[in-house]
Amino acid sequence: MLETTVMLLIIAPIIFSLLFVALPKSLYKFLAWAFFLVGVALSVMLVLDGTGTVEVAGSNFATLESIVLILEVLIILYVLYVSAKHKNWPTLALIAISAGLAAYSYMNVAEVESASFNIDPFSQVMILIVNVIGTAIILFATGYMDHYEEHRHLNRQKTFYFTMSFFLAAMNGLVMVDTLGWLFLFWEITTLCSFVLISYNQDEEGINNGFRALALNLVGGVAFSAAIILLGTRFDIATLSGIGTSSSAAVLALPVALLCLAGFAKSAQMPFQSWLLGAMVAPTPVSALLHSSTMVNAGVFIIVKLVPAFTGTTLGTAIAIYGAFTFVMCSALALSQRNAKRVLAYSTIANLGLIIASAGIGTPLAVAAAIMLILFHAISKALLFLCTGEIEHTIGSRDIEDMSGLIKKAPLLTMLISLAMVSMLLPPFGVLLTKWVSMEAASSNPIVIVFLILGSALTTVYYAKWLGTVLSSTMDKNAVHHAKLETYFPLSFLGLCIVVTSVLVFTIYNYFIKPQVEILLNIAPTVSGQAGQFTSEIGAFAYAAIFIVLALAILIYFATRSMFTPRMSNYYMCGENNLERDGLMFRNGLCSYDKSSASNIYLQNTFGENKLTTLGYVISILLIVIALAGGVL
Amino acid sequence: MNVNDILLAVLVLIGAPIVGCIAAGIDRKITARLQGRVGPPLLQPYYDVRKLLSKDNMIVNKSQNFYVVVYLVFIVLSLLMLIFRQDILMIIFVYTVASVALIVGGMSTGSPYARVGSSREIMAILAYEPILILYALAIYLLTGTFKISAVVDASTPLLAYTPLIFIAMIFVLNIKLKKSPFDYSTSHHAHQELVKGMLTEYSGPGFAIIEIAHFYEYVFLTGLLFVFWTVNPVIGFLLSTAAFLLVIVVDNVTARVYWQWMLKLSWTFLLAISIVNIAFLYFSGVKI
Repeated sequence: MLETTVMLLIIAPIIFSLLFVALPKSLYKFLAWAFFLVGVALSVMLVLDGTGTVEVAGSNFATLESIVLILEVLIILYVLYVSAKHKNWPTLALIAISAGLAAYSYMNVAEVESASFNIDPFSQVMILIVNVIGTAIILFATGYMDHYEEHRHLNRQKTFYFTMSFFLAAMNGLVMVDTLGWLFLFWEITTLCSFVLISYNQDEEGINNGFRALALNLVGGVAFSAAIILLGTRFDIATLSGIGTSSSAAVLALPVALLCLAGFAKSAQMPFQSWLLGAMVAPTPVSALLHSSTMVNAGVFIIVKLVPAFTGTTLGTAIAIYGAFTFVMCSALALSQRNAKRVLAYSTIANLGLIIASAGIGTPLAVAAAIMLILFHAISKALLFLCTGEIEHTIGSRDIEDMSGLIKKAPLLTMLISLAMVSMLLPPFGVLLTKWVSMEAASSNPIVIVFLILGSALTTVYYAKWLGTVLSSTMDKNAVHHAKLETYFPLSFLGLCIVVTSVLVFTIYNYFIKPQVEILLNIAPTVSGQAGQFTSEIGAFAYAAIFIVLALAILIYFATRSMFTPRMSNYYMCGENNLERDGLMFRNGLCSYDKSSASNIYLQNTFGENKLTTLGYVISILLIVIALAGGVL
Repeated sequence: MNVNDILLAVLVLIGAPIVGCIAAGIDRKITARLQGRVGPPLLQPYYDVRKLLSKDNMIVNKSQNFYVVVYLVFIVLSLLMLIFRQDILMIIFVYTVASVALIVGGMSTGSPYARVGSSREIMAILAYEPILILYALAIYLLTGTFKISAVVDASTPLLAYTPLIFIAMIFVLNIKLKKSPFDYSTSHHAHQELVKGMLTEYSGPGFAIIEIAHFYEYVFLTGLLFVFWTVNPVIGFLLSTAAFLLVIVVDNVTARVYWQWMLKLSWTFLLAISIVNIAFLYFSGVKI
């Protein structure tokens, strides 16, 4: 039963990707709905099937192994071809190195007799994220892409849907497979898919950014294959779970550090962050998919899986400091950005840094926080990205300042994006709960906790000002709003997911997180959840009380609203309004009328990209070198 | 939840605004005397609120009063959580909900004065939130838990090992009470270019709710300072009262500054002394 589901999870997205190619555009809407339903059904089936391993051996294995080999060769040939065609020498050099490593490992690493899939609770969570959020994003795309292509005179939707669906197949494989060789194939497929999707527009910027993503991820790929070779030749380990259970955790430090490096590149941590920032030239569904449910999660997935190999070691501490540093640096950079997608990109990198920091701390509580943050962040970030895309279609801009007055132009959309933002920074929602858990867990390491404190304050600031801007009501009301079911259903669905997962946080914790931490560290965090409280050994988070109070606030507001009959009036403008034209007009010193405006504070001179990026590169590279050096010594 | 807890909660719900109201009255009285005026009666803040509640509910949009209700309710919740000795980190996050609600309420009106005030208040969050969380961290390092109850049960006052954080917390009190030199988001003093800042478009019942929430906030913020000396509640009370009076005096003897100045002060001096204090706690490993 489990075996069928595992196979279906990989095969179904591939079938859908072929269907997208075969069928005409008019049917995409129905295909996407079907894909969404199939994705939800399969991932729920996997959860119901329970945990376990699936062995592939014998003739099946031989066939699949040769398919894997052929695909690997095809990927290398394809990348060689495109990088030569576009004369992108760094990529060409990197792919040549990977080809060399692949050949070396083919000749020197001992053949394995079987491959296995390892379904643990963490894989189930990841499968849920990928197949529920990922397919919801594809559904959103069917309501988005026509408009997008119309503006840019493109007609590449077949490539788009094919790659998006194939991406999900690779991601499903990645989070389930245990054999490192196969894992590497899925890893490289996601890299390649992201390259195709980022360079979707086929203009110069798109292709350059695509190559940057490809090159930086190939750096990670090279580290990955070096780690596989080391593990295979020196330690005779060929599975991911084998690294964790190996008794010689200390001698494994170098390959583990290399695998973590691959994870950093995939998760766009500093100094690799530029690929994710460049990824936003692609259509919004691509950014949403890369940032929330798939690509970047693959990196942190590997790192969390490796926790047993570095917990309590110097490498673990180095990883924790590195992640916390990325968190504070990227939060500061996000503060200085006006472009909504850039803010979100930095916020993604920052939150992944927080996940990595939690994994690095390696206590049961911290690891639980890391896994929970992956889940909650994926939902909230997917909703934020999709809403930003929809806002861009509604008001024609992704500048935060242009979003003021959105509540009047598109109320439902504003409510959804506000929910997503609130869920990123305020209790009682999941992301804050996990941030609280990771902060409490990090308090044993002074450097990490200070970074987390600063980063958390910066996070509050950049989301609060954006939240205030979208909710501010201005008098002008000129945008026409189209509400399509294909766009609004995924948005509302994700909004509902945020609320439901936050309410059921303890159930999720008991069902998925606790068993997983037990698998990774052999001890469970001492956390209990009586009476709507999330209680650990060092603190308590009364999320139920906060939900009740929030409901109470809404109740009080509606109950007292009728007691005080509202009377609408205009802004106070020092008695100088010109109401005939606009509520925001005032009389200036020359006795003519001007329109008043106010904008948010971005602290460009303190936290701007030109001020911080170089510093970030230097320190992050230093930290990685320290981590690697710690691995060798 | 037993009968005593419920009685205590009711007592706090009723008592806190009374205490806060008197504190606000004392504030106005002292300010008046320092300015050579007689000043209003002690209960003037109460008369103000009563009158505001009877006024027309003038609004510029339909949602603005919702944020004010959220502000009030979450201030009350954070105060209750403090009284019931909950997790201090959690209390700070709940308190952040209240602060953000007021900011969003200001911005939601869309008025330029309110938006200027709100953006500055957002910067205030950047200035004080790290200090507040470092204060929570100090409690954790000294007691091994984030729960306030551990501080209350301890036999040594918190202040004995956290004098620098106490100094930083007085600045936080100054920023949060929006007193001069940090009263740039909204102010009790007349500032022409800001009008009433963040709260410009609030009047009547909506503004009354903000005033009531302020009463609770007075008690909550001084309560955070009370935690520094819970061993002897009398000393704790005197300590927090002294800090409050100091802030009022500072309010009257200083002029307001640019918000940039506050940010610099906070991210250099205040953070530095707090981190020094934390480093001391971490390396010495003292417990209370």
